[in-house]
Amino acid sequence: MTVVSSPQVREYSPYDLSTRRFWSQPFEVRDETFAALRAADGLTWHHPLPTMFPMEEPGFWALTRRADIAYVSQHPELFTSARGIALDPMPFEVQQIATFFLAMDPPQHTTYRRLISSAFTPRNVRRIEEQIQKNAVAVVDDLVGAGDVDFVAACSARLPMLTITEMLGVEPSEREAVAKAAEKLFSMSDDEYSSLEERAQNTINEMILLSNTGIELAKYRRSHPGDDLMTSIVNAEVDGHRLTDEEIGAFLILLSSAGNDTTKQTTTHAMLALVNNPAQRDWLMEDFENRIGPAIEEFIRFSSPVMQFARFATEDTEIAGQQIKAGDKLGLFYCSANRDETVFDDPHAFDLQRSPNPHLGFGGGGPHFCLGNQLAKAELRNLFRELLTRLKTVEFGEPDLLLSNFVHGVKRLPAFIK
Amino acid sequence: MRVEVDLDKCTGHGICESIADDVFEVQDDGTVLIHENERPEADRERMQQAVTQCPAAALRLVD
Repeated sequence: MTVVSSPQVREYSPYDLSTRRFWSQPFEVRDETFAALRAADGLTWHHPLPTMFPMEEPGFWALTRRADIAYVSQHPELFTSARGIALDPMPFEVQQIATFFLAMDPPQHTTYRRLISSAFTPRNVRRIEEQIQKNAVAVVDDLVGAGDVDFVAACSARLPMLTITEMLGVEPSEREAVAKAAEKLFSMSDDEYSSLEERAQNTINEMILLSNTGIELAKYRRSHPGDDLMTSIVNAEVDGHRLTDEEIGAFLILLSSAGNDTTKQTTTHAMLALVNNPAQRDWLMEDFENRIGPAIEEFIRFSSPVMQFARFATEDTEIAGQQIKAGDKLGLFYCSANRDETVFDDPHAFDLQRSPNPHLGFGGGGPHFCLGNQLAKAELRNLFRELLTRLKTVEFGEPDLLLSNFVHGVKRLPAFIK
Repeated sequence: MRVEVDLDKCTGHGICESIADDVFEVQDDGTVLIHENERPEADRERMQQAVTQCPAAALRLVD
């Protein structure tokens, strides 16, 4: 492999990944640019993304191939999360509040991860699966014969919110406010949610609301233990370490965004794809219980709800023959990895029979692989069982896409349901 | 054939458990417990799948 030497002054790639104009294009159109980068040699250097904070960064390397992203994700000693993981320039202190243990490396990360993972083990997800199923039935009960609805609000947004807030023990009357704050926090790039001037202040406000909800819940569960995630979180102890109130607040921000928006977006994209591909839906329904497992992997690959995270190089190193300097920022584009034509045949096709399906929808492996992957799959399995067996006719209008470089989102999807 | 776990790497994702829940069990401390390390040859394919799919690369097969 030849090593491409870095020039003294780095040249920015002519391929644009850093403007609002680029991210306002549909996913498939953006992937034409990613496809060109995947096919080229080495890596490309890009202008920093737009930011609402007064911060200057020189730019970032774009990682677009599945293999490169997996390599970086699995070498946290070379590519740290502890300087922040937001690709758009954002003060580290703000990131710490919003992303909690996502912005940590081993061994610190390992301690926190183990404190929390007990709630998300396959065994514990199976324990709450009955509750997930009950909620999925209730969501679809309201959809049967509903006529004209917004599918996002009437369906996609409901199950993840019910699941996470029930797990945490949030009072039913407060669930809507918590979900709304989480949605706004991670949709700040879209003008509908806040004007440019208001964004920085709104970000802080939503974080404070979510963090305070977590702290209140933690206080309550310390004195009134229940059978919920918050009770296990306040009681969890690893190597004599317990979570502080501040940390629990940060964790609530992470959970209410990571546990809500991701599964919500996947639900919308997957249902839209199933309606657009009736042959795929028919194949799935011939043997739902045995086919839904691999089908969900394709739901997630196709949707790619989280499009990128960042890392920083800890030392001078090399990726795909490209010299990387210590301190350089790297953008890991999972959305591109999930269309990598060297890994996935006909990558733009929605094909439920893909096997294997080594998508990076839960990240590139390594310590930060999605903690909620089992929970997400349990939600999707139970919701799609109800949707596909009980709704006889679903017709969709045009999806209203979210303008974001982080979440592959649909704000609204007009639907007619019989 | 033995299946082994590196507990310094294991972060308790539970992918192995979803592949073979009779062999792997993520405990409440977030690490995996292997119920029977020695696996019969007939179980190789399933164990290989668990090793390959471990996101933390914490599992390995030793012949």
